[in-house]
Order: sequence, then structure tokens, then C-alpha cells
Amino acid sequence: MSGAREKKRAKKMRNQPASVTLPAEPGPFAGGGSRACPTPGDVRSEQQQQKFSNQSSGPSYRKDQNFSKGQNRGERGTGRGGWQGGHQSVSEEMPKYITVSTFAQARAAEISAMLKAVSQKSSNSLVFQTLPRHMRRRAMSHNVKRLPRRLQEMARKEAEKAVHQKKEQSKTKCRKARRRHINLVAEFNHRQRKNIWLETHIWHAKRFHMVKKWGYCLGNSPTEKSYRACYRAMTKQCLLQDLSYYCCLELKGKENELLKQLARICSIDTGLTFQEASCLSGRFEGSLNLYRADRYPEDMLGPVTFIWKPRDGSENRQLWIWVHPALKQDILRELKAIFQCSEPEEICISEPVTTSIQEEKQVEVVMSLGNKRKKEDKEGEEAVPVKKIIGDGTRDPFQSYSWISQTTGITVSDRSMEILRYRLIGPLSHSILTETLKAASVQTEMADSETELNNWWVENCKDSEKVSLHQCQSAVFELLEGISSPSDMPPGTILGLTVGDPRVNLPKKKTKAMPDFEKYQDNEEVRQLYLKGVPADCAHSFIWDHDICKNVTENKISEQDLNHMRAQLLIPGSHLDLGPCESKIPILLVQQPGKMAGEDRPGWGSGWDICLPKGWGMAFWIPFIYQGVRVGGLQEALKHSEYQRTPHTPNDFPDCRAGMQFAKELETSLLEKFKRRPPAKRANYVKLGTLSPFICPWGQLTKNWEERMKASGGFLCPSSPHPDCCTTEGQTICDPKAEVVREASPENGEAEQTMEITSSEGALKTEDVTSTQDFGERDETKTSDFIVLRSEKLLMQLSAWCYPTAGKDRRIRLISRLGQKEMTEDVFLPILMSYPRALVWVNLSLLRKGNPELHAMICIPTEDDLLHLSKDKLFCGPQEPKHRDIFKDKVQKQKEEKKKKKKKDNMKSLESDPAGIPDEEATEDHEDLILGLWSDALPDVTSHCSRTVLGYVTRGDFSLAVGCGEALGFVSLTGLIYMLHNQPADKKGLVLLRTPASLQYRFARLNIEV
Amino acid sequence: MVRFKNRYVLCEVVSEDPRCRQCIEDRALGLAVRDAIARVHGDYGLACCSISFTVKYLNAYTGTVLLRCRKDSYRLLCSALPFVRYLESRAQRYPCHLNTLHVGGTIRTCQKFLIQYNRTQLLRLLQNCTNEEERQCIQKSLLSCSLTEEQSQSGDEEEDDGTETD
Repeated sequence: MSGAREKKRAKKMRNQPASVTLPAEPGPFAGGGSRACPTPGDVRSEQQQQKFSNQSSGPSYRKDQNFSKGQNRGERGTGRGGWQGGHQSVSEEMPKYITVSTFAQARAAEISAMLKAVSQKSSNSLVFQTLPRHMRRRAMSHNVKRLPRRLQEMARKEAEKAVHQKKEQSKTKCRKARRRHINLVAEFNHRQRKNIWLETHIWHAKRFHMVKKWGYCLGNSPTEKSYRACYRAMTKQCLLQDLSYYCCLELKGKENELLKQLARICSIDTGLTFQEASCLSGRFEGSLNLYRADRYPEDMLGPVTFIWKPRDGSENRQLWIWVHPALKQDILRELKAIFQCSEPEEICISEPVTTSIQEEKQVEVVMSLGNKRKKEDKEGEEAVPVKKIIGDGTRDPFQSYSWISQTTGITVSDRSMEILRYRLIGPLSHSILTETLKAASVQTEMADSETELNNWWVENCKDSEKVSLHQCQSAVFELLEGISSPSDMPPGTILGLTVGDPRVNLPKKKTKAMPDFEKYQDNEEVRQLYLKGVPADCAHSFIWDHDICKNVTENKISEQDLNHMRAQLLIPGSHLDLGPCESKIPILLVQQPGKMAGEDRPGWGSGWDICLPKGWGMAFWIPFIYQGVRVGGLQEALKHSEYQRTPHTPNDFPDCRAGMQFAKELETSLLEKFKRRPPAKRANYVKLGTLSPFICPWGQLTKNWEERMKASGGFLCPSSPHPDCCTTEGQTICDPKAEVVREASPENGEAEQTMEITSSEGALKTEDVTSTQDFGERDETKTSDFIVLRSEKLLMQLSAWCYPTAGKDRRIRLISRLGQKEMTEDVFLPILMSYPRALVWVNLSLLRKGNPELHAMICIPTEDDLLHLSKDKLFCGPQEPKHRDIFKDKVQKQKEEKKKKKKKDNMKSLESDPAGIPDEEATEDHEDLILGLWSDALPDVTSHCSRTVLGYVTRGDFSLAVGCGEALGFVSLTGLIYMLHNQPADKKGLVLLRTPASLQYRFARLNIEV
Repeated sequence: MVRFKNRYVLCEVVSEDPRCRQCIEDRALGLAVRDAIARVHGDYGLACCSISFTVKYLNAYTGTVLLRCRKDSYRLLCSALPFVRYLESRAQRYPCHLNTLHVGGTIRTCQKFLIQYNRTQLLRLLQNCTNEEERQCIQKSLLSCSLTEEQSQSGDEEEDDGTETD
């Protein structure tokens, strides 16, 4: 610091003249023989002196000095007569003669030094700042000639310096050149090497906060204030989302072969399977959870949706599995494994390369119509101008994305970014669809024999069967407008369609599509649609055909050409009729069921998904916008699933890898945020009794509950374990002593265990033991040591148990309706035994005040609390007593040690003593002690606070849909049953919620919706 | 942004003894001036003047001295300057007196004044020349001072580059 300051000062003083004194002189004057006044010792003055001597090399001071011995300064006397005032006393030192030259030279040297000082500006200000204000001009800052001429030289120097200091400008070309289409496209392609852009990226980037996630650039939330507006759009109007980042995996092969293997990765317990009859016919879209092959209920892979291509006579079937990009790699690997599709399909790589080169040339000759996939034609790229990337730009052209199995002939291919997917949510989505899209007209003649435009459509139109199918599809599509809400359709309905170019009937102004129900009030056909749903054969679409998709993508009329044609219309603004040239685009409409579980708001958030061939993204997007939809980003999607009370991918899947990854990232980001606060302003989570405020310790929670269950004999009798799970139980649930022993000697314990264990489940438990040892690094566990309960039957049972009996025997009715058993020991004991470490997805709604937050704790209320609540209706909830910060001393000690160490280090560096290394290591062990965070291995998370912890909240907020605080989270199955078992009948399902940074508990009602 | 305002006193050391030039140095001059102030104005005056009192510049060959003090007390300083009788350094004492040339608010004005003053000195010297040799000598130095200005600037640039690469 001081060095820099000195330097700066030296620079500033560089031009200032230094004092000039006579150098040391031998002879009678120099008493001690010392030097003349020693210069202050900084470099500057030395330089200065050197310069002085250099400058006046001829008649210099040295000469002067030579004179000065013999001559005296009587020169002055002669120079200016009266100056000395006649005081001249004659002495031996007085010179006999005088030299004018030395006198003049001394003056001259001084003048030049002063001139130099004066001519240079001394302050740090810019040149034009030295001017008085009335002489300043705006343009001075960049145009030197605006300055007075005397300052121009200085300003020029200054400007050069400023340019020099600035960063090297990357923009070599002028703006006009940079904005030229070719260069712009090249730039865009360059910029999406790491994170792929969706086709609507530019549109989004202008209006959204963009985030880089899962290898994509995605809009997070709109920049405008629209939190509530988006909610309103979801409930009353229409919200549009670009879900093109969802990946489509395509399976092709014989039906029974496919089903045989696919049955291994899902379970009938969780609801649907791929075999579901309605889905298999291609009529409906299904959604399910995938597990590792034959590993249910462990090793969750993630949730997917799937669509079967409707049967078309041949044996081979086509299946699309839509997965979230965070889950894609895992699922793809598993699919490849179960179908033994190891080798990449050769044809798929080589074929497009060759064809595309030909096509590329052809297109070049014709009119370079439409855009092309660039990735596949690397060779052709040199010849043709840069093309916009459509589809997956990050994919290596030679990296295979399609794999074939030699034995079964099943092909697994990764079609991500090949099919776009937009989601319309809300009741108005019907009218928006019907307003925007118009079914394609039947066309029997080619528009132009040279182009491939629409040739597939013309061929299909020759087939009367297909024409009638198309007419049926378009009739159903037209009728959709008469249906008030998408939720009135059967869930997952699929409607295939071929539509015309939506850009043609773009409204002139942004309008709001409103349904006209009166038109359809007494329409018999609409009623039929209500009752029967979309006919089965209407699910067929040409989008399944790769070649047609490719044709459609390549033969898209560019925006520019379209506008050109519009401009040539005779009546400006009239409808543009392209006639046979109009593109026909095959699309697929998939109904999204919205909220199905639970009792309130059925069908909330339902809508339609549109699948489009790639390249047509903006062509469909803008017309939708013109119909008055609101656009949402990732945050809106999160809210959508929150209000639907469904788990969101990947946030709410703690048992799959993507979910764990997500939790880890969230923890680090929250911790960073926490550390950024000044220490005095941080919440002390140790004092608040929050063990892990940034991550939910699911493994620890389930393990502790298991131990508790064993320990409390009154609740369950551990002596008689269920026969079918006694092997695993016996190993994992040892008495605490054994646990301690094992933890004390981890290597031995682990070795013993691994010897004992043969089953795969046991192997998991070993990992658990090791993970609990170093629970400081909770994220070490690769596979989760807990499962999430997704068995529909059990969830139904639990859900029934959760209802209080208070209101008119509702629970009894419900139970009888669902055909459930009463909660007795012989019913839930087997459940507990088979799922010792399970979590249950629950939703909580707060009874009164309170806004639940992320990672809030779900706790069991004590009897006193319930009593208090029944007495006092305004009772908000109990308070957690303050805990003592047991780590405070440690943290302080560490701080002191650090200080000492620093001192020692300083000493060491002085002494350069190498012996201090072990000390350093010892202190580094406690490096990550942070005041206010639990720094040891977590103790029993369930019993740390005054109320027993049941689970954690993964998402919580004030719900606009319900009007009170709502939270979603997981609770331990064991804990839940324990709680329900001990609670009085009219208070069942009442829990306490406590946010991590507060001591206040709030009452909430726990629900399980199936 | 309030700054302390100073006064800079430009004066000239006049001495008959050429050896006095030996004594023209920061410490000796400062001591002499302080001594004079203490004698004339007492402790109070000394204290007033010695706030930020320094010798900013001196030139032993020309006898120019630039003193700085606070604006409030420059009158005390100026009034004390004539009472400086001698300069003392290294156990040598030479009689001299100080001749105040200019009182300015910034160093810059003083420098400007000094340039002008020296120029007039040289010109006067030129006028009063008695022989041709002297005249040429003075003319040469006069030219050199104007010439060196440009030279110094060019030299300055070079130096600039040198420091920047450091």
C-alpha cells in the first residue's frame, strides 16, 4: 500500500524541481568532511540531479562548482550593481574576476526546471478538468480539437494513455459489420457452444433473467413484475412456457421386447407402467417414475412422461420418453443397459452427413431456403456460409446419439432438441390453440416440382383414408374451443394434427383470444367430445416420422421471404394466401391433467403441450404471444407445480442423483450467501437449534427414526421382527452399543459387515454407516440410504389415516369409500418393517399465521400443545427454548490460534524455519468452523429440539391459490405412523412447522394427496 | 473538499560571502527562519508559523528559496524574514539576508513568477553587458533555457515510457 502510494506520489512529483544544493566540497568548509545536504533519499531527486547534470552537460553546475572554489559570488555584484547594497567585504576568497556565464547559466537552468514544472499539470485531474467550467465543452472528452490549443498536446498524450490502459477491444469490426446477418449468426453459434440456446432464446433473453442450467440457457423469471400476474394467467387465462429443454428419448422396436425390458425399470406399485393399455394404444400420455432395473423401491432414476406412437399395423413400435435434462444421462445409460444397446448405430451418423452435403449444395443453388442442422454437416460447413444451429449445437457431430441392440434390434436414440415442446397452462389455452393454429388444407398438387416442400403432404393427401383422418382430427380440434377448460378432457389426451403456417394468420395487433361458448352451447358434437374424449385414431401424427420432420424443418419459408411476400400484397395488411406453398407442419397436442390429487381445486393448472418439429419454434411462439398469453420461466414452472402440490424435478426427488446434486448445489449457494453476511448479522443456527439449515439430512433423519423405533418398546415390539425382513433388519438395527463400537473402529466394523452382507440392501447400509461417520461431509454418499415411498396403495392408506375424524365422521366415510382399514398395529407394523427408512411426500397447510420457508422443520406437537390449541383458538404455537452455542468457545479458540499462527508464521518467515509444518496442519483441521453453524457430526436430528422432528420442507411459500402458507416436504414414514398412532382422533395430522431462522413453531395440517 | 490554504514565500538569499552557498540547505535555512520568528514574535508566533512550515525548494546556485506556511500566519513569517542575519551549518556561520521576491498561493504561481523574474534578470544582465564575450555568453544561456524546455519535454516523454514499462 505505502509502496504504491509512494510510487504515485513520485509520479506526481516527477516534474517538480528538486532543491539544488551544493555538493560536498573538500577544503576548509567541509568541517567533518561530510557531504553537502543529503538529498531526501528518494529516487526522484537523484534522477533529477542526474538530469540536471545531463542537461547542462556543457556549461554545467559542475563547472560552476569548480569555479565556486576559487571564485566568489561577486559576480552577482557586478551583474547587478546595487544588489549587495555595498556590503562587499574584501576577503581572500573573493575572486579577482567574475564570470557572467555562470550566473546566467544558473538562472537559465532554474528557468528551464521551473518551466518544466509549470508546463506539466501537477494534479491528477484530466486536462479538460483544469479548464474553468465555462470553457468546458461536452465533446472535449473524446475530441482533442475541442480543447484550447495550448492544452491539446497534453490531452492527446492523456488520451493515448487512457486507450492504452483500457482492455484490448475484442470488437475488431464496426457495429454494422458485426450486426450483419452472417456474422451475427456465427457469433450466436459461437456463444452457444457450452450452453445450448433454445429457439426462443433471443426472445427470452430480452425479457427474462437467464440462467445457465443443465447445459441450457433458460429463462428463469420475467424481468417485469409478474409474480401474481403469472398466477392469474395460470388460473384464469393462459401461461406459456418453452419446455424444449426437456429431452426426448426415442425407443424403437418390437412391442413385446420393449415392454419386457421396460417393465424392469418401473413398478406397478407406483401407478402406471409402460404397459398401461390406454397409453400403449397411443391415445394417452402417461407419466411414471423410473427405477434402476429390478431395484424398486431403491435407486430412483427420476420421473418421466411417455408417449407411444399409435399402432400402424407394423410390429415395430415407437416410444418417446420425455425426461428432464438433469436426469437424462442416468436414464439414457440405464435404457442402454437394459436393452443392451451398446454399439452406436452406424447408419444414423453416416447417412445424414452424406445427404446433408448434397442437400446443402442443392439449397445453395436454389435459394438457401430455411435453416439446416449445422452439426451434422461439418464438412459442408466450410463451403457454405454459416448456418444457424438448430437442434443440439453442443453435440459432437461424430458422437453417436442413437444406439442399436444387435440381439433384439431395438434402437435407443436421443432426440433432445429435435422436437420442441411448448406448454400452455390455463383455461384459455383451448381458444388460444384454435385461434393460432389452423388445420392444413388438403392439397393434391405440388406447388413446385423442384422443391421438396410439402411433397410428403401431397402424397398423403392422395390417400383418402389419411385425408379422412386429417379431417376428423381437424374437426376435433375445432371443437376444442367449445370446451371450457383443458381439465375437462381425459388426462393425457393426445391429439395429432397437421397445421398450416401459423405466421400467415398472425393478427395485426396483440389480441386476447376469448372463447365463445355460446356458439357451442348446445352442440351435440361437443357433448360427445366431453363424454368420449378424443377418438383413438386421432392421436396419429406425422411428427413421428423423422423424414417428414426433417423435410418440414428444411423447407420452412424464412421470415424474410414471408415479409417480402407480405409487402407485395395488393392491399397492404390483407390476409396473405400462400396457396400450395404454405408449409404444413405436423404437431402433437398433449393434454396436461393439472391437479388430480387432493380434493380442492381439481384440474387446476391443466393445459396443453404442443410438440413441434425443430426449426419452427419462433414461427409458433410469436403467434401465441399475439393471442395474449403470458410467458413464464423456470420460477413459474416451480410455482405451478407447487400450487399443484406435485413434486418438481429435480428439487423434490431427494432419492435420485439429480435431486442429490441439486441439494448439494443449493447448500453451497446458501452457505455462500450466509458467509457473505457480516458475522454479527448472521443467524446463529446453533442457538436456534437448527442443525442443518441449508440441506435436509434425509439419511440421518430416517436412520434416527429407525433407532427410535427400536428403542421405544412401547410403540413397537422389536423382539418379533417381521419374518420377511428380519435379515436386513437384524443387521442394520443393532443396539446402540454395537453402533458405537462400529463407529469407533470404522475399518473393522465395515469389514465385518461386508463379510456378513450378501444382499444388495446390506451394501447400502454399509455406505450409510460410513456416511454417518463423516457426516460433516454429508454429500459423500453416492447412493441414497433412504427411499421415497411411492407405492400408491400405501400412500392411499396413509392419506386416509391422516384425516381427522372431527368433521361429521368424514374420515370414516373416506376410509369406507377407499376401502381402507382402520389404523391398528397389525396393519402398520408390516409397513414399518418393509420400509424402515422411507420418506413420504406430504403437503402442509398452515392453520393460522406463518409463512413456511425452505428447509423448515416439520415437528410433532406434544400433548400440551394440542391441549393449548383446543383451549385457545388464537394460540399460534409454542416457542423453542434457546439453545446454548457449544461451539462458540471453539470458534473463538480457533480464531486466537489463527492469530497466533499468523504471528508465528511471520516469525517463521523471518527466521525461515522449516519446522512449523505439523502445527499448520493441526490448525487446518478446524478450518471450516463457522460461528452459528453446527460444525460437528450431527447428533440425533429428531430429538435435538424440544419437539421431535418428523421431516423437512423442501418448498414452502404463501400460496396464492389457497390463501395461506403452504409447504411441501418429506416426512419419515416411521415418524409419521408413530405420530398418527399417538394422536387423538380429532387432532390427527396436526404438526408443527418451524423455519430454520426462528424459534416459533406454527401449527399446520399434514395431508397426503394421492 | 476543503483544503488547507497555504502561502508560499519566494525569497532570495543574499550574501556577500560566496561560501554562504554552502549553507543554503533545507535544515539550516529552516532553523534560521524559525530562529528569526522566535526572536521577533515569540513562542506564539513561532508556533503559529511552524504549522506546516517547510522549505519547499531551494537552489544554492541562484539562492532562491521557497517557504511554505499556513495562510493565517504568513504575515508573521514575512515580517520575520528580514531578521534572518546569518545561516549556520556544520559549525560555519555566514552572514546573509533574505530578500522576499513573491508571496503566492500555490507553488505553481511561485514557479511562474520565478521564471519571469529570472528572465528579467537575464535580460537586464544582457543590457548591462560590457563586452562581447559576456553578451554571447548570456545570449547562449538565454537560448539554452528556452531550448531546454523542449528538450526536457522530449526527455520527459522518454522517461514516461520507461516508468510505464516498469
